[in-house]
Amino acid sequence: MFRDGCIGVTVDVRAYRLSAVQKTAYRLAAKCTAIIGEVREHSLVVTLTFAPTTGEREALETARLFFQELLDQELREKVGEQTASLRALILAHAFSRTSLPPRG
Amino acid sequence: MVRAVFHPRSAYAPSAGYRLLPLRFGRLDEHAYIVTNDVGEYVRLARDELVAFLERRLDPNTSVYKALKSRHFLYENDSSVAFDLLALKYRSRAERVAAFTGLHIFVVTLRCDHSCQYCQVSRQSEDSTAFDMTVEHADKALDLVFRSPNEHIKIEFQGGEPLLNFPLVRHIVERARKQNEDHRRDLQFVITSNLSRLSDDVLSFCKEHGVYLSTSLDGPADLHDGQRPTRGGGSHRKTVEGIHRVREALGPDRISALMTTTPRSLSRVEKIIDEYVHLGFHGIFLRSLSPYGFAARSLVKRYGVEDWLDFYKRGLSHILRINAGGYFLREEFTTILLQKMFSPLSSGYVDLQSPAGIGIGALVYNYDGAVYASDEGRMLAEMGDQTFRLGHLDEHSYEDLLTSEALLVPLGETILEGMPMCADCPFLPYCGADPVFHRATQGDAVGHKAFSAFCTKQMGVLRHVIGLLETDAEARDILLRWV
Ligand code: SF4
Repeated sequence: MFRDGCIGVTVDVRAYRLSAVQKTAYRLAAKCTAIIGEVREHSLVVTLTFAPTTGEREALETARLFFQELLDQELREKVGEQTASLRALILAHAFSRTSLPPRG
Repeated sequence: MVRAVFHPRSAYAPSAGYRLLPLRFGRLDEHAYIVTNDVGEYVRLARDELVAFLERRLDPNTSVYKALKSRHFLYENDSSVAFDLLALKYRSRAERVAAFTGLHIFVVTLRCDHSCQYCQVSRQSEDSTAFDMTVEHADKALDLVFRSPNEHIKIEFQGGEPLLNFPLVRHIVERARKQNEDHRRDLQFVITSNLSRLSDDVLSFCKEHGVYLSTSLDGPADLHDGQRPTRGGGSHRKTVEGIHRVREALGPDRISALMTTTPRSLSRVEKIIDEYVHLGFHGIFLRSLSPYGFAARSLVKRYGVEDWLDFYKRGLSHILRINAGGYFLREEFTTILLQKMFSPLSSGYVDLQSPAGIGIGALVYNYDGAVYASDEGRMLAEMGDQTFRLGHLDEHSYEDLLTSEALLVPLGETILEGMPMCADCPFLPYCGADPVFHRATQGDAVGHKAFSAFCTKQMGVLRHVIGLLETDAEARDILLRWV
């Protein structure tokens, strides 16, 4: 519901981790400011606040984008978790026997 | 017991499972996603394919699976080749950091005979020699040039109009070549000039020392002259004459030209490109305006990044048509991005590096002896912001300059892999950190990418180029010839 320039959305923290919610908020910062509330009973209320010039349709579209982006962010967190140690391994492998840091 | 000499046939069957290699993904358009890896390979996928892939239930018999496997997005449980290949490719891309500064810019004077509306430096009138670099500062700067470990050294002369202080250009080239008899680097020189002072003397000097020239050409005469006024007028005519003279004296490839997009250029991209073709150039850089310098700032306010993107897209399709008609012409910014996608080596373009290209990519020796981490950093200083001033030739050693806070702090902050939003962005391998741009527009070197015109431009261009590569076979064919 769009009221007083705000929309409240509820995120189930069993499905999405906080870091994904934070990254989503960051990414949508040009469209709205997301105020992340407290977790109660697996639910996290996020209040999306809009500039006074934003109309209801635009705000609702941003709320839709919020969930779309949140899904992607959650997937990214999972991939990151699975591949972080591999990335470190590949980098270590890449720079073993190199002249880094610079010569001279 | 019999010792097995060969693996059983089953060992060679397609593997039952796969694991993910490090990757990033994001939306390409309404229909598709793109996944990229650290070495710049990419695959375009539908969302359900992406989810199946990430959940490790993609069918090995699909073409998407094969593409993901061959481009190092997944590895089968029994294979370690992917690691070795990825590590090797990553190392090649990072080699630039170890090579260190290759580009050294000498601002030999601030004097200029033009008063271009988008000029980023506070040019000085032609006769105020107080704004010339001294021989002492030039010699000190040259000593620093050869402290750089890079095998390939490019010395670029800028201004103002560098030919107004030609004796110093001559001195620097001759001394550098003499010093290079010991250092034995691959040494190149470029003079960035409006060509109004091009004399036979200059030409024969450039010929003798293999000096390249780079000039400004904004488009057809009325546009160029409107943007680049000079006393007595006729900047376009002089530039065109100069281009012909350089080609005649030095050869066809010794001169290149750069254009700058102003609000006046926006509606005329086809005409601008045609002018380049007419003059026989085979490359054009559709450059957006930088927000440095007071005049430039007010121009930037008159058009947004979306306007420039529209200009770029129209321009690119015109360039593709010209190529399809049999004339080879490449758009240079697109070419840099294509090199990042399809070449194992990283591109040396200073604005698209991670960590940022400041200091590592270029050093700037200003006319007054101050040393800056980039040309844009010098322009910012002209506006009163000294953030990227590393020190002074009279006071600081090579070590002082390159370990100064002014360099190390922004370098540390601008490794894209650790920057908010960029760290997860699928375009990261093709992008860069531009700390001077973000400092100028948002007040800090990192900047919030949701509000960044630089980021909007990068995403807009990359989505467009990848879209063309993936959906337009003829365009793909032409684009790949540019790499
Ligand atoms: S600047 Fe923008 S496009 Fe470039 S890596 Fe960062 S988020 Fe991606």
